[in-house]
Amino acid sequence: MYIDPTTGSLVLQLVAAGVLSAMAMVSRVRDNVKSFFKMLVPRRGRWTGKP
Amino acid sequence: MDWQAVEGSFRDPSGFVYTRDGILYRQINRSFREPYEAFLTSGLYDELARDGLLISHENVGLDLSATVEAHAVIRPERVDFISYPYEWCFGQLQDAASLTLDIQERAIAKGFTLRDSSAYNVQFHGGRPVLIDTLSLEPWEEGRAWAAYKQFCEQFLLPLTLMSQRDVRCGTLLRNYLDGIPLDLGSRLLPRRSWGSPRSLIHIHLHAWAQGRYADAAVTSAAKGRSMSRKALLTLVESLKAAVRGLSWRAAGTEWAEYTDDNNYSVAAAQAKRNMVVDHIRKAGARTVWDLGANTGEYSRAAHEVAPLVISFDLDPAAVERNYRRVRRDDESGILPLIQDLTNPSPSQGWAGRERLSLAERGPADAVLALALIHHLAIGHNLPLERVAAYLSRLGRVLVIEFVPKTDGQVHRLLLSRPDIFPSYTKEGFEKAFARHFRIDARDPVVDSERWLYRMTAIPQSEG
Repeated sequence: MYIDPTTGSLVLQLVAAGVLSAMAMVSRVRDNVKSFFKMLVPRRGRWTGKP
Repeated sequence: MDWQAVEGSFRDPSGFVYTRDGILYRQINRSFREPYEAFLTSGLYDELARDGLLISHENVGLDLSATVEAHAVIRPERVDFISYPYEWCFGQLQDAASLTLDIQERAIAKGFTLRDSSAYNVQFHGGRPVLIDTLSLEPWEEGRAWAAYKQFCEQFLLPLTLMSQRDVRCGTLLRNYLDGIPLDLGSRLLPRRSWGSPRSLIHIHLHAWAQGRYADAAVTSAAKGRSMSRKALLTLVESLKAAVRGLSWRAAGTEWAEYTDDNNYSVAAAQAKRNMVVDHIRKAGARTVWDLGANTGEYSRAAHEVAPLVISFDLDPAAVERNYRRVRRDDESGILPLIQDLTNPSPSQGWAGRERLSLAERGPADAVLALALIHHLAIGHNLPLERVAAYLSRLGRVLVIEFVPKTDGQVHRLLLSRPDIFPSYTKEGFEKAFARHFRIDARDPVVDSERWLYRMTAIPQSEG
């Protein structure tokens, strides 16, 4: 069916997609940093845990 | 003309749905030939139909076409009962929204897009939502934004957000706003905390603002040459999916949702009544049963033991939600829970009052179940018994109805807060009123209670 997408909706999509992509990138970077530090902690734990 | 157009499919110039000799067909017009052929050859149709996301169809010859504009004619699998978004509970609207976005995501991956995202294109078939509009998909042009984004927000995301964050009864706004709840209205109705959610902020509040800001602007000047990449389009869909998934509503605590756990039946009476219901539906030879006032669907399931399809109506969104969740959990393909207020049933509406059918126009059912309902209509809502009988005779060919006398605790409770102005509400008065519209085939007392169960056959209007 043909519908009227309206200019406001199209403009918002273009802006929103950019913002959401940026948010997703920030989230990915944050997750990578988190997993990096998580990786370090158990490694240190293994070393210090040995008698 | 030996074909009849199906109301509700006439807006699309690409094709329409019609019946011929009682069989449902969809005509694809020549103007949509290229997009349709591209859709078929891409493998997207096969994938969506195989996975149960899109209704499947068979190709038939052009000799069955309705008009000379036909490029192709298909025979889609028929949906047993057409329901509308304003009759769905929260979970049904949420599942329909997720289906729409799943299809859009798969379409984008194959270079296609949904050109509309109407909630009316989704129906519940075999217990699950399915897209019924085969002509909704078309090739996506690189750089083009999603034309159906606003429609998705107004018909799915905003109603769901209102139901989740303001009040579940906001879903009934869809009955008034058939094209979806206007974004500016929804933005005003939502609680302030919704501004703190990035997804609600973008897809609803800023979306509503952008509608006003660019109301008179041409797309080309407003967009300033920007275009939408495939990745950006997918990001938008992923965000909408997360927004839909993130919404919830707890179906508990209302009067009716607790009714099954808090009624007047002993275990013996409940079991006896269940057996009687199954027996009556079997004797009626019913294939389709409408269970009116079904609550969470206990007796709908009893009827389903002998009838392939039971539409389980109740006015309480919590009861319907619990019923639907059970349908999904147990994969029950023959039960369709829907919200319906019998004192104000779905009317025929839309263009010329014909686009969306009234409840009665979607019948009659082979059998109607009206258990523990009559006292709510007659005493709770002052509806004369004769009028109740007249309306029920339009809904089904056979009626299985329970009469609940004034001595019953549930009726007693109703009469606590109002004067008893119902002298004709007796077993005799009930039978007299219903005998004007039905032939009474059986009447039996419900074991261990003062209630009676009747099976009646509707008298055709001309004889009545």
